[in-house]
Amino acid sequence: MLSVLLGLAALTAQAAHTQVELLLSAAAAKPGDTIWAAVDMKMEPGWHTYWKNPGEAGIATAIKWQLPPGVTAGEIQWPLPKKIPPAEVTTYGYTNEVMLLVPLTLASNLSAGPIDLKGNVSWLECKDVCIPANQDVEEKLNIGSEAKTSADATKIDAWNKKVPQTNAFYQFQAWWESTTNDMRPFVMSNGRGGADKNIKFDSVDFFPDVSDQFEVQAPTVVLSAYSAEIRLRKSIKKYSGDWPKEITGVLVLQAGDSREGFEIKMHVADKAPAGETISATESLPPVSPAPPLWQMLLYAFIGGLILNIMPCVLPVIALKILGFVREAHSEPRRVRNLGLIYALGVLVSFLALAAVVIGVKSAGHHAGWGMQFGSPIFIVCLTTLVTLVALNLFGVFEVAPGGRALDAAGELAAKPGTPGAFFNGVLATALATPCTAPFLAPALGFAFSQSVATIILIFLTVGLGLASPYVLLSWNPAWLKFLPKPGAWMEKFKIAMGFPMLATVVWLLNIATASYGKNVLWLGVFLVIVAFAAWVFGDFFQRGRKHKGIALALVFLLFSSGYFFVLEKELNWRKAMPEADATGSLKESADGIDWQRWSPEAVAAARAAGKPVLVDFTADWCLTCQVNKGTSIEIPSVRAKLKEINAVAFTGDYTHTPDIITKELNRYNRAGVPLVLVYPRNPDAEAIVLPEVLTPGIVLNALDRAAH
Amino acid sequence: MKITFALFAALTLAASAFAVEVGKTAPDFIGTDINGKTVKLSDYKGKIVVIESYNSDCPFCNNQYKTGAMQDLQKDLAAKGVVWLLVNSVNPKNFSHRTPDQAKQEIADKKIVANAWIDDSSGAIGHLYEMKTTPHMFVIAKDGTLVYDGAIDNQSDPFHDPRTANNYVRDAVNDLLAGKPIEISQSKPYGCAVHYAD
Repeated sequence: MLSVLLGLAALTAQAAHTQVELLLSAAAAKPGDTIWAAVDMKMEPGWHTYWKNPGEAGIATAIKWQLPPGVTAGEIQWPLPKKIPPAEVTTYGYTNEVMLLVPLTLASNLSAGPIDLKGNVSWLECKDVCIPANQDVEEKLNIGSEAKTSADATKIDAWNKKVPQTNAFYQFQAWWESTTNDMRPFVMSNGRGGADKNIKFDSVDFFPDVSDQFEVQAPTVVLSAYSAEIRLRKSIKKYSGDWPKEITGVLVLQAGDSREGFEIKMHVADKAPAGETISATESLPPVSPAPPLWQMLLYAFIGGLILNIMPCVLPVIALKILGFVREAHSEPRRVRNLGLIYALGVLVSFLALAAVVIGVKSAGHHAGWGMQFGSPIFIVCLTTLVTLVALNLFGVFEVAPGGRALDAAGELAAKPGTPGAFFNGVLATALATPCTAPFLAPALGFAFSQSVATIILIFLTVGLGLASPYVLLSWNPAWLKFLPKPGAWMEKFKIAMGFPMLATVVWLLNIATASYGKNVLWLGVFLVIVAFAAWVFGDFFQRGRKHKGIALALVFLLFSSGYFFVLEKELNWRKAMPEADATGSLKESADGIDWQRWSPEAVAAARAAGKPVLVDFTADWCLTCQVNKGTSIEIPSVRAKLKEINAVAFTGDYTHTPDIITKELNRYNRAGVPLVLVYPRNPDAEAIVLPEVLTPGIVLNALDRAAH
Repeated sequence: MKITFALFAALTLAASAFAVEVGKTAPDFIGTDINGKTVKLSDYKGKIVVIESYNSDCPFCNNQYKTGAMQDLQKDLAAKGVVWLLVNSVNPKNFSHRTPDQAKQEIADKKIVANAWIDDSSGAIGHLYEMKTTPHMFVIAKDGTLVYDGAIDNQSDPFHDPRTANNYVRDAVNDLLAGKPIEISQSKPYGCAVHYAD
């Protein structure tokens, strides 16, 4: 039945979901005048019609005029359309209502009297189905010696203001970013600095004109949304002919409720203008064009290497050293294999991370590096895991049966087993993630804006960097000779290494406070139960001789009661407390820096008041941030300098990865904290982006520059 | 090391195999036709394959079928040994979705000549081939290379008789059979957006 109805709808315009009417700006006009004809299209909710470039599907609305001699119709003036989802087939069009405007020129020799203006409007309207429709429209106009506006003139005028115009301010240039076969990315920019005011737009986009030979793809990467420098990355798919030398279309700017379009035309250069490449390395621009892939991969690799010596990996290095000592005295082939399995553990973990990033990315969230540390569930799991590692190091229980051979390491070539090596790799990765080492950050910042394949590639490269020293050593066991000989000290060393693990647990508990507040006590209770269960497991099940079954049952009972009564009931661990929304000063000590809570509005207000601004984006789980703060920010000389130049200091807490800060980080091509910005006193000047690892000199120097 | 390399190779292969590109091997897929039969693209290696993104409620598709132009093309190409696969990626909630019984009826009513009507209501094949519109056409050479990706013809409106237009699929297949290079190997697909599942 429904299909019959729709079949009819497709054939008869009367049943269409769009009402079409012809309106004129004038009720009467003189010969020689130009008046506006407006095709008013009103669509039912959910239905849309198309722009002059319909996008990846659809068809543009067309008007066929039947006009008396002496009346000439111009081109359709199209009001600014919007992008219509879904993302996989993006189209440009209108919902609710649109007026397509056409200038009608009346010849100067037109004779007086009424004339009939007729036309046929044809369009495609779509919702869950698409229906082509067309309708005749007609309106009368009086030609005489007096011009008179019509009742519709105001409305037509309002729609006329929505038609994109050219504006000398928005002069764009474009250049190819690479020259691949089918699809080429290009960057478009309006240069830098030409503005008297520097507004940040909420969104910037480019809607291209239609072409048979190529198509500017719908997705847009916004590289900079400041009026002084608008910069977008788009790509073009070519169907035939040469690559275009010129691209035309509409620049779409939105700030608050106001949304405007500007006709732009740009030449596409083969490479970036000379000034662009210089500015990418000099003078700390707000956003620099992304470096080439090989460079990013190199950074990713070096970043991975550096992760080996970052504070949050150090405890695991202890584990690894133990492994080295044990394995150096077993067969070289086995050492090599274990090295590779360790590397595999690292790589698999990084793949899992990449999958998370891709998942989050596709879910439309702005992912941030280290974000897994913002998740309370992750922190509870990791805290439990690290506690178990400490207990294992203390010898409370063994990971693998036979691992007890370690006690007699001097006489036995320990066989730590495949799972041990794999697990080491996984643990190293889990602990390494919040340490956004200096080289790693740009690589990851780059990764977040990239394709799935590139993300995977970058994450794997970081993993290779992290694993490579170990693989190298296991491959050249000769170098292992420099390592100390095994002996009784090893067992002591192993136990000693349990304490850094306990310290890590304390640090993790501190982070968990942000999510659970005082209830973190229950996490502590849970850890004690887990520790007790581990002891029962080790002493009565693994090493015991009798009643092993009872011991195992007790372990299960302890775990499940710990889980259900403590984690689920008391801690309610899957529902973290929302972050307290404190305002006012966040001073850490009486004479400390007078930190204010960061928000874009607060920064804008302080800058408008002519004050230099210091912004520190930090997170509880970010060690580099704490180190920066302790050594180079919260120090007497910087406190004095801030007072001297009358600067305002803001701190943004990224512990729970709020979207608003993720956006700000991405704007500066960073995928995670730390990010420290210094805004100069001059409200129009760009922010100075400080490097990831700070020294007092860097901070003081930037503040001096900001004061001028 | 072997394992690592294998992992790397597998990943890069998987990533590159995802891209539909003229001149490259067309990505393989496994689908189920309306008779419940498994259809695998690679089973047709050695034959020219035409893939059509189909939704007869779309006026652009409908125009091809109601004028008989598409069936003529299907018959002509079938006589030349060309395999025709119809892919319907409309999601099950959409009005234009067809159950297997409705699809069988539609084949009979419209006298469609195709080797298989693949139910792709998950959109897996549609997304794999980045099908944008109905109709969106693909021609695959005997060796599995994608040689045409784009519109059915050069007349992007749902009102005129398609037989007066220049049919890109017919041209591509004829070029292939004549052993000539494909004159037009890409064009912008036109039509209705594919109604994918959310």
